[in-house]
Order: sequence, then C-alpha cells, then structure tokens
Amino acid sequence: MATFLLRRLLLIVPTLWVIATLTFFLMRQAPGGPFQAEREIPAAAKAQLERQYGLDRPLLYQYLAFLGNAARLDFGPSYKYAPKQVTEIIRESFPVSLELGGWALLFALAIGVPLGVVAAVKQNTRTDFAAMTAALAGVSIPNFVLGPLLVLGLSLTLFVLPPALWQGPESRVLPVLTLSTAYVAYIARLTRGGMLEVLRQDYIRTARAKGLAEGSVVFKHALKLGILPVVSYLGPAAARIVMGSIVVESIFAIPGLGNYLVTGAFNRDYTLVLGVVLFYALFLMLLNLLVDVAYTWIDPRVELR
Amino acid sequence: MEGGRRCAGSLLYCALVNHSLRAALATALVLAGCTPSTPPGARPAGTGPRYFGDITPPADNVFRFANGAEPERLDPSVMSGQPDGRVARMVFEGLTVPDPKTLASLPGQAYRWETSADGRTYTFHLRPGLEWSDETPLTSRDFLWTWLRVLRPATASRYASFLYPVRNAENYNLGELADSSLVGLAAPDDSTFVVTLEQPTSYFLFLTQFYTCLPVPRHVVERWGDRWTEREHLVGNGPFRMTYHRRRDRFEFGRNPRYWDAGSVKLDRVIAYSIDDLNTCTNLYKAGVTDWNPSGYIPSQFIPYLRGFDDYRTGRYQAVYFYSINTTRPPFDNVWVRRALNYAVDREAITRDLLKGSRDPWGNFPPSGYPGYRHPPPISYDPERARECLARAGYPSGKGFPKTEILFNTSEDHRRIAEAIQEMWKRELGIQVGLSNQEWGSYLQATTALQYDVARRSWIGDYLDPTTFLSIMRTGDGNNRTGWSDPTYDRLLRAADAEVDPARRMLMLAEAEARVLDAGVLIPIYHYSTVELVKPYVRGLYPTALDVHPLTRVWIDRDWNRHPAPVAQLPDRVRR
Repeated sequence: MATFLLRRLLLIVPTLWVIATLTFFLMRQAPGGPFQAEREIPAAAKAQLERQYGLDRPLLYQYLAFLGNAARLDFGPSYKYAPKQVTEIIRESFPVSLELGGWALLFALAIGVPLGVVAAVKQNTRTDFAAMTAALAGVSIPNFVLGPLLVLGLSLTLFVLPPALWQGPESRVLPVLTLSTAYVAYIARLTRGGMLEVLRQDYIRTARAKGLAEGSVVFKHALKLGILPVVSYLGPAAARIVMGSIVVESIFAIPGLGNYLVTGAFNRDYTLVLGVVLFYALFLMLLNLLVDVAYTWIDPRVELR
Repeated sequence: MEGGRRCAGSLLYCALVNHSLRAALATALVLAGCTPSTPPGARPAGTGPRYFGDITPPADNVFRFANGAEPERLDPSVMSGQPDGRVARMVFEGLTVPDPKTLASLPGQAYRWETSADGRTYTFHLRPGLEWSDETPLTSRDFLWTWLRVLRPATASRYASFLYPVRNAENYNLGELADSSLVGLAAPDDSTFVVTLEQPTSYFLFLTQFYTCLPVPRHVVERWGDRWTEREHLVGNGPFRMTYHRRRDRFEFGRNPRYWDAGSVKLDRVIAYSIDDLNTCTNLYKAGVTDWNPSGYIPSQFIPYLRGFDDYRTGRYQAVYFYSINTTRPPFDNVWVRRALNYAVDREAITRDLLKGSRDPWGNFPPSGYPGYRHPPPISYDPERARECLARAGYPSGKGFPKTEILFNTSEDHRRIAEAIQEMWKRELGIQVGLSNQEWGSYLQATTALQYDVARRSWIGDYLDPTTFLSIMRTGDGNNRTGWSDPTYDRLLRAADAEVDPARRMLMLAEAEARVLDAGVLIPIYHYSTVELVKPYVRGLYPTALDVHPLTRVWIDRDWNRHPAPVAQLPDRVRR
C-alpha cells in the first residue's frame, strides 16, 4: 500500500511535466499574444510590457524559467489581471468552484443512488421505467438549456430564487440543480446496473435464504458491492463537476475558477492558463488516487500493489 | 476605444455551445415574461406605462448596476476599457468632470481655468482644501506627478497618447526625450497646474475628464507599488470610495466624506456587479437585483422586444460598425474594386431587416453629433454605379474576380451581417466571397497583421471630436489596419491640428473624411446606439454620446410614480 501510494505520487510529477510542456507550447501556437487589443497598444508600451513579463526572451528560455518557477508553485502574475498573481486567483476562486461542485456531487449522490437502488429492486416495473426515463432525460438536457429554463421558471416568473450571483444560501439552489442533474441521472443508471448484477449473486440468495429482511439485504449486503461502479465514477465525476462548471458559472455569474480558464485562453493569458491547467491536472490525479484507495476500503478483494 | 470587449460575454459562449440555439432559447426565456400576444415593441392601446420586470425601489439609498466583465486594471493611469473606467470615475475625479447630459466639461478638482489667446496654454486653479480619502492634502503636484507617470515609458500606459497634445509629451513617452522637465506640465504652486500644448487642441478639456488623466495618490503608489489598487490600500479623491471588491463578483462603494462636494452625493452605497454574460445581466435587471443595465449589456436579439417598455432608453452613441478592406492585397489595391464593394452594400436593408431598426444605417466614417462638424456626402447604396466601378476595375459582371473572404470575430450578429453582405455582393456584382470567423485573439492578430481581405470592425469615440475617428486612418497608425496611406489625408489632419479657427479646422477634417470615403477603404454600415435599461425610480442618469455616466448626483426616488421626473437641475457647484 505504501509503495503503491509512493509510486503513484511520484508518477504525478512526470505527468504534470508533460501537461505543462504541451500546454506551454500549444498556447504559444495560438495566433496573437496577451498584449493585443482592438485599440492598438502603442509599440513602445507593448515592448515595455513584453520586457516586463520576459516575453522578449527566446522561447526556450521562457519555457525553462516557467518550469523553474512552476516547481516553486509560482506562476507569476496574470497578464490580464496584473498585479494579481495566478496562485492568488486560484486561491480566491477555487473554493467557490469546489463548493458549487461539492454540493452538486452530494446532491447527485443523495438522489441518484436511491433512485438507482429502487429501479434495480423493482426491475422492469413501472417504477423502474419511470426512474430510468427521468435519468435519460437528465443526461440529455444540456446545462446551458436547463439553467436558463430554471431561471425563467423560478426567478423571473415566480420570483422565488435569485436569477444569478453567489450571495447567500438561496443563490446556491439553481446552480447546484443545474450542475447536478446530469450526474444524478448518470449515477442512478450506474447504481441500477451495479445493483442488478449484485442482486443476482449467490451470496445475496444466501442472505435472503437465512431470512434477512429485504432492506438489510439490499442496503447492507448488495449496496456495498453494487455501488462500486459509482465509486470508480466518482473520481472523474468529482473532477468534471468541479472543473466543468464553466457554463454554470457563466450563466449564474459565479466567481469560480472555471471561467478564468476560458477567458484566459481567449485573452492569451499564458500564465493564468498554465497555472489553472496544471492545478486542475493535479486535482484530477489526486482524486483518482483517492478513488483507488477508497476501492480497497469498500472491496477488500482489491489489493493495491 | 476598442469596440470588441463589449461582446466578450457572448464570445465566451460561442466556444462552448451552439450560439444560435442559446440565443433563440434566451429570447424565448426573457420574452416569456412579457405578453407574447402583443406585437414586438408595441404598447397595447389604453394601458399605462409598462416596465421590464420588478420596479420596487431598493429599501435604502443604494444603486446597483451590471458593470460587464471584471475590470482588468484599477489604476486609472494604465487602464483601458469601459468597466474599468466606470470604477475609476467613482473613486477619482479629474480637473474637469463631464456634465451628466452633454458631457461638456464642468469644474471638477479645478474650480476655474484660463486659456491663453493662442489656445496653447491652460492654467487650472484647484479648489482650496482638496484632500485624498486618507486626508492627505491633494495639490497640483499630484496632477503633475500623475501625468508624468502616464507618460513615463516604464509605465506602459495604453492611453498615454491621450496626453500627446501636451508639449514634448510624445517624445518623452517614446523614450526619445529623457528630461521630464521639458514636458509642458508645471505646478508653480500647490493650487495651480499649467499645461502647455504643442498645438491648440480644441478638445483638450474633454481629455482632462478621461480616466487616463485622473490623479493618483503618489504617496500610496510609492508605498505599495502596483498593489496600491488593492481595496485595502486604495485611496482616491472622487465622490465614492471602494469598500468591497471580490473578483468576478462585485464592487461596493460608499461615500467619500473627504470629497469636496460630498454634500451633493445622494447615494449611500453603490454596487457594481462584474458579469460577463449578457443574458445574466438582463435577467438580474428584470428580477430587480440591478437598477441599471448599461448599454452593451443587453443581448441584441432582445432589443426589438424591449423597445415597448418605458424603462428602455436609447440614444446615439459615438461608435460606428464598418468593414475595412486590406489594401495591400490584390484585387483590393485597386480603388475601383473597393468602391464597387462600397456601393453594393445596402445598409438600409441591413439595419431595417436584420437589426430590426435597433441601429441606424450610416454611410460616413465619424459618427454624428460633433458640434460644428458637417459631414461630406455619405456613401449610398447604388448597385448600378457599383457594377460600373467593378467593370472599370477589370472585372465586368464579376468575371475573373479572385476568391476572397470576409473575416469576423465569432458572433451570431456579425455572422448575419456578413451573410447579408456576401449575398449583396453576389447579387449586385456577381462575385463570390467566403466567410471566415475566428475567435477574438486570432481575429485581432489577423487584422493587425493585415492577414485578411475584408474584415468586420468597429470603433468607439473617446472624446467629442471627429479626430477620435479620423486619426486612426493616418499612415501607419496602429489602428489603421488597412495598409491605406494617403499623404494628402495625413497633411489635412496635421493642418487641422495646427488650426486655431474652429470653423476652418472642421472644414479640413470634413475634407479628410471625404478622401477616406472616396478611397473606399472603409465600408461604413451602421451607427451604434446606446441601449440601456434604467428603473423608473433612478434619477439623474442620462443617455450620453460617449456612454459615460457620472454617478455623483444619481439618486433613488421612492416617490417616482407620484410625480413626473423632476426637471434636471444643473449642477449647482461653484462655477467659474
């Protein structure tokens, strides 16, 4: 276990290096640069800015300097929002994305797992069909459609919830709903699939045979294994839900990190993009590691070597 | 000023989702709140005023508005862009301030000024007892220091050229002159600031209102370096001071008790929300979360429907939407080709059918509304003449015309106009042009590097004078972006700069405009309008030609529906 953890942690370093290198050179391939605007920046000012940020140096030098600084977790200031440092921007806005994603994931689990269990237990009944149709609809509606629809209904017609902004608990409702719907649906389907497989197994038959209550069979014995597909999905899902909230953050004007990645790319804000990409990559790899560890805890048959 | 940042919100979405789908959906969404059965824009007969959404005034004297994208810089000396400027004008005040309606210069930090007979020297007298918000005295040396800081090459100010009318300012800014004492700025005593200009510059008092010329506190800048604009360090001299700032969320402002005219400030608090997405801006206005949705923050497809509401306001805006032609690429190096393309564009059809009358067709380069300026005759739609020009260029009925492209930055509005023009050129001239859309950064690079045939562009005036438009077409100007160069044009602009007589100066400028129109390098399409939503209880906020809105005297009228709008009071501040 310890060697496994150590090896996986060490593997993160070269992976990050590859991602950093690819991102660095891909960003530089995009036409234009950070100091370009519809109203021309005077040549002297532009040259001064490029000198200030070291953009006048040879690309290889810039790359090595970037690697050296990145190793010390210093990405320099954002070109667009100077003097704000990239690390400051991440520190300010990531907790917001994390909170939004966290609630959305909790909500998705709280609704999706019971829905899947019920559907599996009542397989091929109306309950099952209804639950799975709802799940299919949830997977199919993109959040940029669902978000505005919710705003229209609940904010602009009934005036019960704010249409946007991130202030107070009531402002969390619509973004969390919008972000989690697709995950509710997916988790319900995964749970149903996992449970169906487990419920057919011999040890469940044994459990039933020795007279255990159905609730105990389902929740104590079956769910523990039936939920494994959900657990393995949780790693990428958590990463996607936290990072993939870009559209939701924009619709609801939420000051999270996702938006910075998109506008950073548009603005050729090299430092900001590199910082955010590496941060997300690290976040994703750590989550995946966490899932692998969680696996051994849920399913003792899995051994980490 | 740049015109593109206003659409940053919709630009973001283009990359993420199918824009037209979203646009159609969003239209349906906001419209569902109105009565769908009435024809767009019409007010049902016999009904009273209609307002878009909630019209309950806020409980206290707070004014809330959408401020667009998160400002990039909060240091007035280096900022560019409208959201940044709106914040700066609340926290800082210049020598002069714009009249809330006409934008004419009113006394600000200077209570009076004199101009020398040759129009080259301005002497400003500061009000006695001025203070920064941290109670440090503010003197003319603060202005001197700030303006030199703007010009110092190391500052890399994007709008440093605003101060180029000042003697030696350009040389100093370009690093060709090292001695700042040779720049035409002086502070002979604490309350006097003397500016010596290269040329009589009739619009100089407009420049002193601009955010680049706002004073910054030397003692704070030197203490905190470029971190001085952080909320906890920021010190200003304007009507408000910043009390809260969270990136991509909001700014909050309170009164500045040290402001010389603090008694006239009626608002206790101002909240400026940083919101990228235009639909979100409009939703917040409808829900009554904001009191003002400034111009540029309403999705264009809503405009025809919002027109019937009483809180919808529109006015002429000093900005023009045009196509520019890259004259360095054949066949566009041929003036007859460019003229043919110009005459074949039916701008009336575009504004009437495509934009549903939300913009005015425009066949001139500078927009309307410059005092004393008479435009040369506009370019008009004349398909017959267009065909003649094309034949003269050697492509009768479009035969043999090479394959070319219209470039625009990704946006549904730009695409629709490009498609219309593509169709017009095909119909009238028999030529085939392709369409090419690029995301913002690539589009900028392509236009700057002259890697395009015909490109969609727009330009926004910075001050009320035609030179804010005409100067960009000078040879080699960074914003020319057409490769066009005309020595006569350059000479006319230089002569106008030196001219003291305003009438003669305007004639020279009109002649210059006629030349650029005749050369056909630009295809003017429409004149922008300001389009904003303002709750009926907001008083003292007016549409202006530069979309600049001093908030000093804005107030919340809780009895708004019991009496008509009060007659606007002219600011009763000390006159000269």
